[in-house]
Amino acid sequence: MKEDLLDIVCCPLDKHDLELDATEREDGEIVTGTLTCTECGETYPIEDGIPNLLPPDMRDEAPA
Amino acid sequence: MSGEQSAGDETGDGSDGKPGLAAQRDMEQVYQPAEDSKLLADAVVERVGEGDRTLDVGTGSGYVAARMREAGAEAVGTDLNPHACRQATEAGIPAVRADLTGAFDAESFDVVTFNPPYLPTEPEKEWDDWMERALSGGEDGRAAIDPFLDDVARVLRPTGAAYLLVSSLTDPDAVRERAAANGLVGEEVASESHPFETLLVMRFERAEA
Repeated sequence: MKEDLLDIVCCPLDKHDLELDATEREDGEIVTGTLTCTECGETYPIEDGIPNLLPPDMRDEAPA
Repeated sequence: MSGEQSAGDETGDGSDGKPGLAAQRDMEQVYQPAEDSKLLADAVVERVGEGDRTLDVGTGSGYVAARMREAGAEAVGTDLNPHACRQATEAGIPAVRADLTGAFDAESFDVVTFNPPYLPTEPEKEWDDWMERALSGGEDGRAAIDPFLDDVARVLRPTGAAYLLVSSLTDPDAVRERAAANGLVGEEVASESHPFETLLVMRFERAEA
């Protein structure tokens, strides 16, 4: 994901801003890292360049 | 079928002209553009402006988002399905895995599009896999449409509009009522008849806009 995506995404639980912690970057894009809610502290993973902003209770219910 | 595919070539890069196995698996689990996607995209690209910020909900392959981008808009896609997010990303569409518009800031978009799962489906048949999920709209066909209408006004800019694909099987009047309950007024902007249903594109904006 590009960093400017942060301008339009928020925590799905309380709609507060997210703070980026990038662990791997490539060509200016974030490949791996986390997004953490500045209000509730919930952490969302970024994997293969795609942020997973599903509410925590929906992360596991989905089919494989 | 002449290519030599080595066993374990899980991430084939398509150098033999065919998608690799991982990409093929994504294809099988992601709704590919059909008549409904095209009807929605055709209606939206006529109305999207240069530089508009747009969000395609349930983006699947990224088709509608890509059409908006071709029309000059900035497009982002979102989907529940991780395979869809990957496919949209490969199509050059920034993708976010999320539930409808729930992970997006208020007043972020000029245009939001949604080609929802809308086929009425018996409960026991539901959501066995990602493809079923892309099609099934629950018992009344509106299991994804209703929560979409409940939140979409939040992410629209004051003059923004949402474009929703609905089917005659989905009871468009009930869709309109749900939208009205959320302060949205709708008009039909495109329709297409098929053997068992009529597909409609509805455009919604804030009632006070």
